[in-house]
Amino acid sequence: MSIPSYDDLTPPIPDVLASDTVPQLAQFLGEPSPVSSFQLPRATGCVSSRSVAGNSPGDAQLETANRPLANVYACLRGAADADTPLMAIARDFSPRVMRVAAGEVLVDVSGLGRLIGAPDDIVRELRRAVAEAPVDAVVTIATTQTAARVLARVPGSTAIARLPVTVLRDLETLPPAASVRDRERPYETLERWGIATLADLAALPAGDLSARLGRRGVALQQLARGCDPGPFVPDPDVPRFIERLELEWPIAALEPLSFVFARLLDPLSIALERADRGAAAIRLDLRLTDRSVDRRVLQLPAPMRDPRVLRTLLLLELESRPPSPPDGGHEASIDIVTIEIDPAPSRITQFSLLERAVPSPETVSTLIARLSALVGESHVGSPRVVDTHQPGAFAMDPFTARPTRDSTIEPERVGGHAVRRQRIPPAVRVNVSAGRPVYLAPSRRGIPSGAVVQAAGPWRSSGGWWNAGSTPASVTPMPRSGDSGLVTPMPRSGDLRQGSSCAEHWSKREGGWDRIEWDVALAPGEVCRIFQDRATGRWFFEGLYD
Amino acid sequence: MRAALESLLRERKLDVTLTSAAPCPAPADRLAATGNPDLDGALGGGLRRGHLSEIAGRASSGRTTLLLTTLAAATARGEVVAIVDVCDTFDPASAQAHGVDLTRVLWVRDTGDPLRALKAFSLVLQAGNFGLVVFDLADVAPVVVRRFPFTTWLRVSRAIEGSDTVALVVAQERTARSPLGVTISLEQGPARWMGGAASRARLFAGVHPAPRIVQAR
Repeated sequence: MSIPSYDDLTPPIPDVLASDTVPQLAQFLGEPSPVSSFQLPRATGCVSSRSVAGNSPGDAQLETANRPLANVYACLRGAADADTPLMAIARDFSPRVMRVAAGEVLVDVSGLGRLIGAPDDIVRELRRAVAEAPVDAVVTIATTQTAARVLARVPGSTAIARLPVTVLRDLETLPPAASVRDRERPYETLERWGIATLADLAALPAGDLSARLGRRGVALQQLARGCDPGPFVPDPDVPRFIERLELEWPIAALEPLSFVFARLLDPLSIALERADRGAAAIRLDLRLTDRSVDRRVLQLPAPMRDPRVLRTLLLLELESRPPSPPDGGHEASIDIVTIEIDPAPSRITQFSLLERAVPSPETVSTLIARLSALVGESHVGSPRVVDTHQPGAFAMDPFTARPTRDSTIEPERVGGHAVRRQRIPPAVRVNVSAGRPVYLAPSRRGIPSGAVVQAAGPWRSSGGWWNAGSTPASVTPMPRSGDSGLVTPMPRSGDLRQGSSCAEHWSKREGGWDRIEWDVALAPGEVCRIFQDRATGRWFFEGLYD
Repeated sequence: MRAALESLLRERKLDVTLTSAAPCPAPADRLAATGNPDLDGALGGGLRRGHLSEIAGRASSGRTTLLLTTLAAATARGEVVAIVDVCDTFDPASAQAHGVDLTRVLWVRDTGDPLRALKAFSLVLQAGNFGLVVFDLADVAPVVVRRFPFTTWLRVSRAIEGSDTVALVVAQERTARSPLGVTISLEQGPARWMGGAASRARLFAGVHPAPRIVQAR
């Protein structure tokens, strides 16, 4: 019976045979070019032993120029804030792009052999793209992600073999909770051992290194040998849904523009459908003939991609707010139309037998847009009662049709009367006798009038006087018993516009109110609420009980 | 002979133009209750879906009370409702007090022009899937309403025919209804008050709508 040794209990370490990797590593690290280095993959077998034996790399590249490459990665490394342009450049070459660090992007260029050619051509094309973009970055290429990243860190004339071990700090993947002491411990140990360069670390026996530094030591050695710690996991592609059309002749009318929208939105809709996305917002840029750009964004209540709906929404938006030059001119012809869609996961609709059919978000969006174009955006919505005692106060919310199940609960009835409320109370003339209104005379058509046959009041209501700009209360005294005649003077000659002026006056008094209210029934049968503004002493018709 | 013809037309669902009010009970799911038990009983369950009905009455006759009750019943059923308010007199606080779920109300207010409001009304009807769409002409003079093109109401009836939508017009006079719609007429009655006539604690207790179906189905 044999007693297992410590090495037998240690988990197997793949690819740690020095004899298997060191020669290639030596060749890899001995590559003098700081920008481009390429080692053909072993796995594909397309590298002949000739290249390892010292044939010129050009022969190997020539041999593989027309073959699909396998496991070839390019690294684009720039400033820490250059992620976005680097990702854009990388996505122009390959959809398999991975951001590995701030300002560092890996691109899987394995499939570009047939499209571009040899690896040197790929590097050249990448470098050209970087040079054309407003970003400074180093471009390297290798058969492993680690090798490409190491090459991107090689200073100008330094031999790769003499790179310090500490260059691996950026390449290590450690738990975020690891302390600084834990992070630096293996490097201090290697320094005490006199292991200063990547070549020194790669040449160490893996078993002994594992026994002394554990798995982390082996992982560092794998990095020094150019092996990848993990698979290539591309970042999810975020395609841009944008279409642009330069017109041969400027367009000034909506009808021809609808055809342009259709031409732009149809391919966008197809692209959205293929990506299983919907439009959460539409960004429309119209470049006018005076070189100004009319930009507008349409936020949609739900992701949608029906091109007819999107086109209708755009047309209604332009119909309600036509594009105009910034200088205020009337003529605005369009010569370039750009539409960009902000994508969002498409909507999944689960119909139910237990829910009532409600208008779909597309229908609601189109309807609201049509109604807004017809009566104004602020006049369409869902009403909301605000938390205030101010009479007639309300707010408008965007209308959304939410499907809900039938309610088996009876609606809560708080009580109160149905009122047809005048949004801006018109002024009226009121005769007061013994402190009570006795006759109501309108100032314009549509307001009930007649003798008061029943009355309830007075009810004093005030509020909002603490707001800035409101009129302080208690200017006009309450009508006393025995008063006769009019509290509000009868209009004099030429005072026929008293009603409208009072209405305007009332509408401008925002925030505060102080008034005396009466509920009165008139002889013709109407029941209405009137009130006297205490600041001015004038009477107003608030609404009709119906 | 006439009965046979009418029976044949009903069988082929071509009976909407029949002038005789032959009893033709609608299934319950084709009726929208108004929330007024007496009125629902008289109507056989409520207003018929897919048809244009109307509420007609003078000021303070209870039109708005009945309207808010109908809106409350519709929103309580989970339906989405719309109101086209020509003169901007809809009071959200009153509606909420009557039990209307305001989040399910599309309010088109202050259109300023009855013809423009009519267009908005048509747009809402064409959108479909609204349980109740109200065209509030109660504050519009009847003479103005009479100026609408004579094909207006026929077009409205055709727009909602076969749908689950109830179109409801509120006006001072009888204006329009589709063949299977109803006209609910409200007479101006005395208002109710609480407390003595000279008492300062006197309170207005509301109007009591007394609906009367002018032309039953």
